Amino acid sequence: MSQHESKPNSSERRRFLKTSALAAGGALYGGLVGTNAAAQVHANKMTDMQHGDKLPAPLGNPKSGRPAGYRDDYDGFSRFKPSRGNDPNSEFYLGKLVPGFRDVGAGPAPFVTPDLEKLPWKMVGGVKEFHLVPMAVEREVLPGYKLNVYGYNGSMPGPTIEVNQGDRIRIVVTNELPEDTSAHWHGFELPIQYDGASELTQNLIKPGKSFVYEFDIHEEGTFFYHSHIPMQEAFGSVGFMIVHPQKVFDPPVDRDLGLIFQNFFIEPSQSIADSWRMDWNWQTINGRSGPYTTPLVVKHGERVRIRIMNFSPMQHHPIHIHGHTFWITGHEGARIPHSAWVPRNTELVGIAQATDFEFIANNPGDWMFHCHMVHHMMNHMTRQVGPRVRPDQSVDAYLANLDQSPGVKLLNPDPGFKTPGYPQEMKGMEMKPDFMKRIWNRREVQGMRAMWPMSVMGLMTVLRVLPDDLYQIVMESDQPVEKGAVFAEIVRRFGNPSDYKSAPMMMHDMS
Amino acid sequence: MSAELGKALQAGLYPNPVLSYEAEQIGVDGPSGTSTPGEFQGGVVEQRFVTGGKLRLSREKYLRRARVSENLAMAQQFRVCNDVRIHFYKTLAASDILSIRREMVKTAEDSAVTAQESYNVGQSNRPQVRRANVVLQRARLDVLAAENAYNQAFRTLSTLVGVPLCMGMVEGALESTCPVMSFEEAYGRLLAESPQLAAARAKLAVDQATVARENVQWVPDIVVRGGAGYNFEAEETTAVAGVAFDVPLFDRNQGTVRQAQADYARQRQEIERVELELRNRLAMIYQQYLTGMQHAQEYAEVILPELKAAYRELLESYKERRVDWPDVLMAQHDYFDARLTQVDNLLHARTQEVLIYGYLLHDGLMAAPDITPPGHIDSVPKPR
Ligand SMILES: [Cu+2]
Repeated sequence: MSQHESKPNSSERRRFLKTSALAAGGALYGGLVGTNAAAQVHANKMTDMQHGDKLPAPLGNPKSGRPAGYRDDYDGFSRFKPSRGNDPNSEFYLGKLVPGFRDVGAGPAPFVTPDLEKLPWKMVGGVKEFHLVPMAVEREVLPGYKLNVYGYNGSMPGPTIEVNQGDRIRIVVTNELPEDTSAHWHGFELPIQYDGASELTQNLIKPGKSFVYEFDIHEEGTFFYHSHIPMQEAFGSVGFMIVHPQKVFDPPVDRDLGLIFQNFFIEPSQSIADSWRMDWNWQTINGRSGPYTTPLVVKHGERVRIRIMNFSPMQHHPIHIHGHTFWITGHEGARIPHSAWVPRNTELVGIAQATDFEFIANNPGDWMFHCHMVHHMMNHMTRQVGPRVRPDQSVDAYLANLDQSPGVKLLNPDPGFKTPGYPQEMKGMEMKPDFMKRIWNRREVQGMRAMWPMSVMGLMTVLRVLPDDLYQIVMESDQPVEKGAVFAEIVRRFGNPSDYKSAPMMMHDMS
Repeated sequence: MSAELGKALQAGLYPNPVLSYEAEQIGVDGPSGTSTPGEFQGGVVEQRFVTGGKLRLSREKYLRRARVSENLAMAQQFRVCNDVRIHFYKTLAASDILSIRREMVKTAEDSAVTAQESYNVGQSNRPQVRRANVVLQRARLDVLAAENAYNQAFRTLSTLVGVPLCMGMVEGALESTCPVMSFEEAYGRLLAESPQLAAARAKLAVDQATVARENVQWVPDIVVRGGAGYNFEAEETTAVAGVAFDVPLFDRNQGTVRQAQADYARQRQEIERVELELRNRLAMIYQQYLTGMQHAQEYAEVILPELKAAYRELLESYKERRVDWPDVLMAQHDYFDARLTQVDNLLHARTQEVLIYGYLLHDGLMAAPDITPPGHIDSVPKPR
């Protein structure tokens, strides 16, 4: 496994896997692909696919689904199907200490932060030297929605700093902001002069100037760095700082994923975040909003760690994962001893806190993964009034002639208005074709139900648990995948296909 | 003008000869001792010979008065035309205002529906719904008032044109197409071309002629009479002859001359007064004109486009679920409301522009002013 797998554009490994698979006979993908011509026919079929109540054609090779030679059952807990185990006091209860497929001896699993880069380093005199540059950044949080925020090295949140316990590190911070700043290494027990707590411990770094932080790392776990100017923090100046332990955390995980939850207030028709607001209308995970957040794609049966860090200025987030019960195995301060791990479905992650979730991905499917605050499940809540909730009215009629109003019927003729409280469901969602194209133009979302982007908004992403063959099709091939095909295949294998209805197509040009 | 020309003709006419029959001393005894029908019976012709060029001067005076009338007539023409122009624009503005008001009712209706919709999701309460209804009723009243104003403007226009017009539409543009004049330009134009000023100047020439005319009034006309008849006493035909003239011993027309000179002097001041009065009125009208133009231009170039862009951006934001509909309605209302103001600006600028280009003349339904100011010497039955 490598961090590349989560990035749609770094396709070297995928190309290697794909060509070797094709060389091996091409049978791996079953009915999906064979030749280019077949793929072409398939692609044409996709655009106007309507399955009605039927499932799309089978996809993948169910027989290749489970890696061989691995233990499945742990005291009644199965890594391949939803299960609890026989005894809450068992060390395998809810998959608590069930190891991943990865060998402990292979060292820690690579840490992956979807949609964020890692900060490169070089060895200088036995010290890992990083160069961190606080700067103004433009971040595209949704296709076409660019935010003006502060970040580091061209990114908001900043690139991930990844080190090992016992390293000596040097971080040269060069301020490219138009104002003073400092860098604080949140949670580290370091010499006071490098704490970065602005005037308390150092003079601020002037624009254009550098400051060198250098200290030994004796901690391990989930940390982060941020500016110690409060409004710069509210404006996005933060990044992950992950310290891998010398003794690999046990049980070993297959996936180590990092998500930074943030929110901002941005006026309509505005791109500059307002760091002074007390309310927040834009929600981001690793600098993107749902449905532009990149799904976390894992293989069926893997042990997964997700480290969530809440860097919202004013809001705590109760974070909920569907379909799984996870263990709280660490906070930003430290790894928690096994005896104190807590199983949960929802965990409140407070401001400036980080929490590590670990679980066995034993339930295949596309699972909602979100902050449970209703107002965080979308960006910029707006009231349900106006043309959007009126039958036969559209904003376009207003836009067609700005000098005249198209007028309105004096009572909303929608019979729903006879029911107090109607409507509560968000009406008239419009997603533009080029927006949808960008959403769908990522491997991580291939084969999801056609309507999925309508439900993943704001502080939301998707945990995709895929059987090995489907994982390979989605993540390690470039083949087109019919909308809904992967999901339908999971229903076929693990659910009740006779009950399944495929999603209506949203629009033709959306693939 | 025709009256003055008539007067000029009349004043220049030479006096008619007087034919008379005379009988003198009827009943005088003749040589036979009997009474005769008179000493003299016969016809006499009398002719007044006008001296001092009185007739020529009188005619000249009235011809000059005709020129004053000509200028006053032109002024009156401008008054009428300017009135028609201004009221045409008023009618046009009333029509524009009416259509904008009708749009604003739709905004208010939309707000009322929006209030109901908000009520149903618990985001507004009863009083808020009622207030939205009140705003709607007020907008409807505004439309009625705008309709009434339009009808009145149309009727006034019809009256000014002097022809009954059936109610309908007026077509045209409120926007000015004339270049903006500087105050000096406008004032210079008034000094050079104002019919009021031209009339005042022509009136000075009249008063000059009047002085000349009154100066010769005392020069005595010579009245010569002669005739023939029969003298019943002498029983022979005889002739009569006579010459008469005033001896200007006491009345040398001094008073009237003085009055005419006073009129002349007054008229010289009057020209200056008219110039000052025009400048004074221009000063006020020009500032209103300039203010109107500046407002109209700023509204056209900045304010309206900005409000329209704000409205469009909010509509687009609403489409993307980024703003609430009441925010959009507020922007729509602001934009429509500014368009109302712009109609006012344009009408204001246009009205003042008509006045400036039309020599500040208006109120064409008032009687045209007379040539002479009240109390002016103009009192001789035979024009002189
Ligand atoms: Cu939240």
